[in-house]
Amino acid sequence: MRESLNEPVSVVSYYNSSSRQVQPYQLNWQGQIYKLGKIDFWHKTRRGDVLIHHFSMGDIGGTAYFKLALDATTLHWTIEEYMTADQMEVVYERFEA
Amino acid sequence: MSGLKLDINTTEPLVMHIDLNSCFAIIEQQANRLLRGKPVGVAAYDTPRGFVVASSYEAKAMGVKLGVNVAQARLLCPGIVIMTPDPPKYREAHRRFKDVLLKYTDDVTPKSIDEFVMHLENSPLFKQGMTVKSMGYQIKDGIYQSLGEAVTVNVGIGPNRFLAKLAAGLHKPNGLDLIDHKNLRDTYESLDLLDLPGINTRYKRRLEAHGIKTPLQFLDADEEYLRKRVFKSIVGQQWYMRLRGHEPDRREFGRKTIGHQHAIAKQTSDPEELNKILMKLSEKTGRRLRKNNLYAGGISLWMGFASNHRLWSITGSSAFTDQRTGWHHGEKVGSRLYATHDIFAHAKRLLESAKVVEPVRIISVTTFDLHKWDPEQLDIFGNERGYLAARRISDALDVVNNRYGEFSVIPANMMDMKGTIIDRVAFGNIKDME
Repeated sequence: MRESLNEPVSVVSYYNSSSRQVQPYQLNWQGQIYKLGKIDFWHKTRRGDVLIHHFSMGDIGGTAYFKLALDATTLHWTIEEYMTADQMEVVYERFEA
Repeated sequence: MSGLKLDINTTEPLVMHIDLNSCFAIIEQQANRLLRGKPVGVAAYDTPRGFVVASSYEAKAMGVKLGVNVAQARLLCPGIVIMTPDPPKYREAHRRFKDVLLKYTDDVTPKSIDEFVMHLENSPLFKQGMTVKSMGYQIKDGIYQSLGEAVTVNVGIGPNRFLAKLAAGLHKPNGLDLIDHKNLRDTYESLDLLDLPGINTRYKRRLEAHGIKTPLQFLDADEEYLRKRVFKSIVGQQWYMRLRGHEPDRREFGRKTIGHQHAIAKQTSDPEELNKILMKLSEKTGRRLRKNNLYAGGISLWMGFASNHRLWSITGSSAFTDQRTGWHHGEKVGSRLYATHDIFAHAKRLLESAKVVEPVRIISVTTFDLHKWDPEQLDIFGNERGYLAARRISDALDVVNNRYGEFSVIPANMMDMKGTIIDRVAFGNIKDME
């Protein structure tokens, strides 16, 4: 199963009115700053009434992957998954049934 | 011999079959570009015994096919990245996939999470003169634009569903092929019986036993011979039609069952543990019944024991026979199953009647005999007040869970099992997504 890492992160994002798209631009996580590339997949989920946007994307250098979540109610960002090119394993929390 | 005589269908091929290549694995590669070009397997669980439900083309090339377990996948393909499914992502891909197709016709039928069939005879673009092949290429481009550069689809065009699906499988990945009366024989000549959709090894053996060893021989077989000798049923006639491009397959089946299944990570025969899982399965089943405004007249419980690694199908409502490998019992209950606690009560009763001879590996609760809840059809002799009260309580709990998230309000015996039954997306059943 895929459970969220659910770790708060600092994100710089902007809204492009011509493409009508939100673009996470920079991520500050565990003392490192990552410039983010294009959004590779965007999808939404609901937790009850709360809408959550999920952005799957890599850093601009092509060395890391992140799945970020934006809670549309609180506007809090969290990191859900990450992976680096030198450690080809997607990291996310799991639990045993 | 006499029997049905049909020529090969010479009408313009207007059925299109589209399927997403290696769906779950490709969506993962689209979302995570570090995975592109790498072997990826999506497995039900990422533990050694979890089954791979999708693999990327790179993994398939190394022999990682559907159904191998994670330990085998790692042996076949060292370095494979194994991930567990992310159903919301796949559902989003399915929705976007469908949106692209709806631009061409409203006659779009999802066959599974990653397969659609379109009938294009009423397509406005077709009526304006666009060829079906051009539409196929546009659809490929539309899916690329909508889902991303890593996602490719196979498009098949034919005069019926069978030939459209066969065409879609001719040049994987990212193919586009058309089968019509002009190239039908040539196409069959290049294929084996097992290349035909719907022909498995069992059917192949049956055909071979009757002297049919190639698709061309299958095509040339007499209808009566197929119906009376080979298949001994109407199935023979359906194959006779299908192979010639006529349509025996345009039937939509309604939903017959709703249920949930769970593979237990720590196998157990402890009734208390099994009851907890049963409660959560009952809640999930009940939620889906209520969402579809259905109630059930019957319930079945199935358990697979630890000694058996082979999955087998179940039918009917009689007691299961081989108690070493699993146990199954289903029955009509004589009342309406709608509220979670009613489903659970009957499932628990079935569990209590079971002989659990070994730790349980997999367990499922299935409701059948489904009916629409029709307030105009109240039974004057039945317990309508009781049903309505149970319905109102269940509906109220569903409203709370809709607002605050799944399992915000739970029965007491589910208290310490957060997330045990996880979200899954089925290959074949996409009715809840429509």
